[in-house]
Amino acid sequence: MALFLLQRLGTLLITLLVASLLVFLVMEVLPGDPAAIILGVNARADTLAALRAEMGLDRPAWERYLLWLGGLVTGDLGRSYTYGVTVWELVAERIGLSLPLALMAIVLSTVLAIPLGVLAAARRNKAADVGVMGFTQLGIAIPNFWFAILLILLFAVHWQVLPAGGFAGWDAGFWPALKTLLLPAVALALPQAAILARVTRSSVLETLGEDYVRTARAKGLSRRAALWHHAVRNALIPVVTIMGLQFSFLLAGTIIIENVFYLPGLGRLIFQAIAQRDLIVVKDLVILLAASVVVVNFLVDLLYAVLDPRLRGGGHVL
Amino acid sequence: MSLLSLQDLTVTLDTPEGPATVLDRVSFDLAPGESLGIVGESGCGKSMTALAVMGLLPAAARCRGRIDFEDQDLLTLDERALCALRGRRIAMVFQEPMTALNPVKTIGFQVAEGLRWHFGLGRGEAEARALKLLDRVGLPQPRFSPDLYPHQLSGGQRQRVVIAMALACDPALLIADEPTTALDVTSQAEILALIAEVTAGSKMALMLITHDLAVVWQNTAAMLVMYAGTVAERGATAEVFARMAHPYTRGLLAASPGALEDILPAGRRLATIPGQVPDPHDRPQGCVFAGRCPRVADDCLPCPPGERLLVPGHAVACLHPHEGETPS
Repeated sequence: MALFLLQRLGTLLITLLVASLLVFLVMEVLPGDPAAIILGVNARADTLAALRAEMGLDRPAWERYLLWLGGLVTGDLGRSYTYGVTVWELVAERIGLSLPLALMAIVLSTVLAIPLGVLAAARRNKAADVGVMGFTQLGIAIPNFWFAILLILLFAVHWQVLPAGGFAGWDAGFWPALKTLLLPAVALALPQAAILARVTRSSVLETLGEDYVRTARAKGLSRRAALWHHAVRNALIPVVTIMGLQFSFLLAGTIIIENVFYLPGLGRLIFQAIAQRDLIVVKDLVILLAASVVVVNFLVDLLYAVLDPRLRGGGHVL
Repeated sequence: MSLLSLQDLTVTLDTPEGPATVLDRVSFDLAPGESLGIVGESGCGKSMTALAVMGLLPAAARCRGRIDFEDQDLLTLDERALCALRGRRIAMVFQEPMTALNPVKTIGFQVAEGLRWHFGLGRGEAEARALKLLDRVGLPQPRFSPDLYPHQLSGGQRQRVVIAMALACDPALLIADEPTTALDVTSQAEILALIAEVTAGSKMALMLITHDLAVVWQNTAAMLVMYAGTVAERGATAEVFARMAHPYTRGLLAASPGALEDILPAGRRLATIPGQVPDPHDRPQGCVFAGRCPRVADDCLPCPPGERLLVPGHAVACLHPHEGETPS
C-alpha cells in the first residue's frame, strides 16, 4: 500500500512538472510582448525597456521558467498587471465561489447519476431504462450553456424563484449565497450526470453478469440485495475513473457557466485574463487548474484502493 | 420419501433463433442423505438441471414439469419463497472458485452473509459461526483470517470458502456443479474428499455434477447419465459401471482418461464419439443420440426411446442397449 501511494505520488509530481513546462512554453510562443501590451503602442522605448527589466522579460527563458517554478513552490505567484494585486489575492477571492460551485456540481451529478444508472441496469430494456437512456442522450447532446440559459428562463424569468446571475457572497448568509450557485451547479452537473449515468448503467450490467452475483443469489439474497451488496460496489470502479476524468471538463465548464451567470469565479477570471493578456494570471491559473485535476485523479487512485482490496496489495496466504 | 423429485422437467430457452430445448423430460429422485452423480459432456443440461432446482435459470428460460422439494413444487413458488429456500435448504457450490467469490468482500463476510440473511444473526455472532465453518472446511484460524480477501487464497482454498458458504445454513441438499473442474489435480482430490466428509453421516443429500466418470464412480451411490438434455441411463453407480447399457455411456467411458485404472486396462487409447450434439433448436424426432450411435437402427428414428428397466434400479433410454458386463 505504501509503495502504491509512493508510486502515485511520484507520478503526480512528474505530471505537474511536465504541465508547468508545457504551460510556460505555450505562453512563450504566444505572440506579443506583455510589456508592450501593458504600456500601449505609444510607449517610449526606454520606459518599455525599464518595464521589461522589472518584469524579468530581458532574462533568458530557462531562467524565467525556474523563477516562475520557484515562485509556484514558495507560493509567490506574482502580481497581476490589470488588477494591480497579487495573483494569490485574486485566487483567494474567487475560490470561495468556484470551489463550492464545483463541489455542488460533482455532488449533484453523482447523486443523480449513480441511482439512475443502477435503476436503468436493474430494469434493463424496461420503461425505466428506456427513459433514463433517452434523457441521458439529451443531456449529452445539449451543451451546458444552453441548459444554463434554459434554467435562467424557467427559474429566474418565468417562476422567479432563483436569481438569474451574480453571486450574493458568503457574507450575505449561507442560503442566499447557495441560492445564487444553485442554477449554475445544475447546469454544470446535468451533462456530467448524463455521461456518468450511462457509465454506471453499463458497468452495473457487466457486474450483474458476474459469477459472484449468482453466488449471492444462490445464498438466498433477493435480486435487490444482490444488486446493492454485490454488484454496485464492484461497478463503481470504472464510474470513479470517469468521475476523475470528468473533473477537468467540469473546470472547463465553469469558464463558460460563470460567464453565463456573471459569477466572479476562477473560470471568469481566467477568461478575462486571457482577453486582457494578463499572462501572469493566465499562467498561474492554468497551472493551478492542472494541479487540481492531477490531485483529483490522485485521489481517485486512492479511492480505487478503498474500493478494490486487490490494489491494496497484501500477499497470498502460504 | 424423496427429498428432491424431478418429474418430466422440460426447459426451453427463448433465443433469437426460436425456442431451444435444453432439458427434455428429465426425471429423478433423490432421498435425504443420498448422493446422486450427474454426468455428461458440456451442454448436456447438467448445469441447467442444477440451476432449475436453484430457481436461478436465465430469464429467457421456460419450465414445464415439476420440481418437488420437501413436498413443494418449486416451479410454482414465487421469488420470495425461493429466496427463503436458496442457501437455506438448497445450497450450491460452483465450478469456478476464482469468480464465484466477490473480490471486494472479505471471506468472513461472505461466509457469514447467508447466516445473517436467513437467520437474522448479528454481525458478531454470524462471523463467530463463519470462523467455525472455515475451520470445518480446512481453513483453520489464525492462518486463514476471516479478514482475507479471495485474491489472497489459492483456487482450492477459495473452493473451500465456497463450500463453507454453502454449508453455512446446514442445507438439506447440496448441489456441487463441477466443483473440481477448475482446480489442479491435487486440489481436486482434496475438495472431493471434503465434500464426501461433510455429507457423510449427515442427512444432507448431494447432487454432484461432473463430466468426469471417475468422479461419479468415487463419490456417489447413484448416477444419471445425461445426453443433449435427456437422461440416457440411470441407476446405482456400481450397477451402471458394471453393466453400462447405453451406447453413449460406453462411449463416454471409452473417452475418459486416467483414474479408471481399476476398470480400464493400462495403455488403452482414448476413443472419441464421432459426430456432433444435435442443435437444441432442431432436435431429432427420435433418439437424440441416433446421429452418433454405432448401434443405430431404423426404429430409433421415428420417436424417442422410452426408458426401460434392465434390473431393478438400473434403467436405460435405448431400444438397442448393450447387454452384459462393461468390457474391460
